[in-house]
Amino acid sequence: MFELSTDVGNLKELREGDFSAYDALYLGDFSCPDYPNNFSSHAELLEPGLELVKSRGQKAYLRLYAVPGNADLGWVEDLIDTALELPFDALEVHNLGLLRMLRDKGCRLPIHLGVFGNLYTHETAKVLKEYGVTRVYPNPELSLDEVRYIADNAAVEVLVPVHGKIPLVISETCFILEHSEEGDECGDGSCSYQCTQEHWLKRGRSDGSRADWSLKDTGRMTLSGKDLCMVEHAATLAGMGLKHFYVHNKGEARGYASQVGRIYRDALKRAFAGEAAGDAAEPLATLAGLAREGLCNGYYFEGAGQRYFGRT
Amino acid sequence: MVRMLAPAGSIEMACAAVEEGADIIYVGPLGFSRRPYESEMSDGAIREATEHARSRGAELRVVLNTFPTPFDVTRFLDKALQYAQFGASGFIVTDIGLMRALRRLLPDTVLHVSIGSGIGNAQDAAFYREAGADVIILPYRWDVAEIEAVRAASDIGLETFLFETVQTGKICPGKCIMSSYLRFRDWLDVEGSRDFHGSANRGAKECYRVCQANWEFGVPGAAPLELKLRRDARLMLAQLPAFVRGGVTCFKLSGRERPVAMIRDLVRFYRRAIDEVVGGASNLDHHADELAELRARWVREKSRRVDTLMDRAASYAV
Repeated sequence: MFELSTDVGNLKELREGDFSAYDALYLGDFSCPDYPNNFSSHAELLEPGLELVKSRGQKAYLRLYAVPGNADLGWVEDLIDTALELPFDALEVHNLGLLRMLRDKGCRLPIHLGVFGNLYTHETAKVLKEYGVTRVYPNPELSLDEVRYIADNAAVEVLVPVHGKIPLVISETCFILEHSEEGDECGDGSCSYQCTQEHWLKRGRSDGSRADWSLKDTGRMTLSGKDLCMVEHAATLAGMGLKHFYVHNKGEARGYASQVGRIYRDALKRAFAGEAAGDAAEPLATLAGLAREGLCNGYYFEGAGQRYFGRT
Repeated sequence: MVRMLAPAGSIEMACAAVEEGADIIYVGPLGFSRRPYESEMSDGAIREATEHARSRGAELRVVLNTFPTPFDVTRFLDKALQYAQFGASGFIVTDIGLMRALRRLLPDTVLHVSIGSGIGNAQDAAFYREAGADVIILPYRWDVAEIEAVRAASDIGLETFLFETVQTGKICPGKCIMSSYLRFRDWLDVEGSRDFHGSANRGAKECYRVCQANWEFGVPGAAPLELKLRRDARLMLAQLPAFVRGGVTCFKLSGRERPVAMIRDLVRFYRRAIDEVVGGASNLDHHADELAELRARWVREKSRRVDTLMDRAASYAV
């Protein structure tokens, strides 16, 4: 009927978290290879992670590092070689060089294009299908109408984020470490994982001389301050024929994915069964309580990313 | 052959750049090249600029580096065909699907991969070669080692901005949608009627350069640091001989939005420097004073522009 997925960075989070609301899990943090025991950079953890997901009756997709430089290609290739020997349900790539590498290795697994793959047109989706891509995560700037157009005209699955922070920027270097007291470059073994604390970029002034902007920063990735929230629009999504939905979990506290997942599982189930939506007040209050800077609809309704449009 | 690409944000700038020795000038059509409309050109102006460049032995490339909406694909390709008929010798493109389509439609044109494609490694370069590209622009962080890696993986042509390499900060062309998350504006009449709402990456909505403005950064409850998200790149000179030796054949000056007088002086300066390097020079220290003066002018103009863009952003509704 539909698929609801989220992301899990490492084995510890996978073991300790409640992801029962989800049909599929994207394993790994694609933004930072130094994230502790990251599935995306620890080949030895792939098999136990995969086994655990499968034992729970879920699909497992492996995320590959999104912005590999030349120096990263070797270790990423080693990880890919390990992954190709395992029964993952798909690999997620953001980097086109890695996509080419997968093609050259004769990858038979389905390939999903990640959010930083810059997918804006159905013409690009058609090119990527030649490399084995079966699902795309369109750039968050696209509207729902554009997302559906791509799905229809490229005959490709589209992953539709329905909740969580919107990935806005990814960098090859760690902004937190660059501005920490240690100040050492990330990747030299000196990372003290300060990203486990919440970091925010703010630009507001009470006198109004600056716009009131807030962004969350996880070191190598900058996220929207507000949480994308589509719970009031589940029926619209179902009516558009969209079927693959995603909750962004990276950077959130333990328990976030569980609470959000249950709410969306219920909303989407009702929508796909053609049932009337329940009272949105309670789930919205829960979701708003998890969102420090409030809720938004991203770009889905053709506006700047911070806006929120209610159902009524 | 080593060539210099110079910006042409207006007819006046196009003429100045050609006069000072640019081999190629590049222009952006309104709503298709990620710049405010003041730095883009109407189709009529592009035709005029093309004729001027060709009459002086120079070439003109058209920047079509937006990620268009899927609804705009036909229009995008029609515009490219029109510019080719004007005499444009190539295009600077981002979207892979459109790159492939342009290669099929215009087999003899030169296709540059825009910095907005977010290339990060040698395998990326090989991917774009397969998609039909002739030239990639090197990422801002790349130095000679990365150039060598690409040359080992692909025969694609290499182009670089005339900026020194920068290693730290958020330097993420092609991997950033911060600006449109924060602010948006509708299309202006001058940009033409369009049937979708877009962002800086998609055309008429300018990037507000929020990465170059001051932010407060830190953990809630602690005293924040005030900082910019990236350090400004400095105009390049000392690295130029090594890049030429490494196989870079195209040196690109950015600045369609800069004053014409500044672009004139920069083209003249880099024409001399590039000719010296091609003639065998490996040390350009004798240009140090002139470079320092140009860098200072560049920074002053950049600060002014960021202030203008931030003021605009603040003036638009959320």
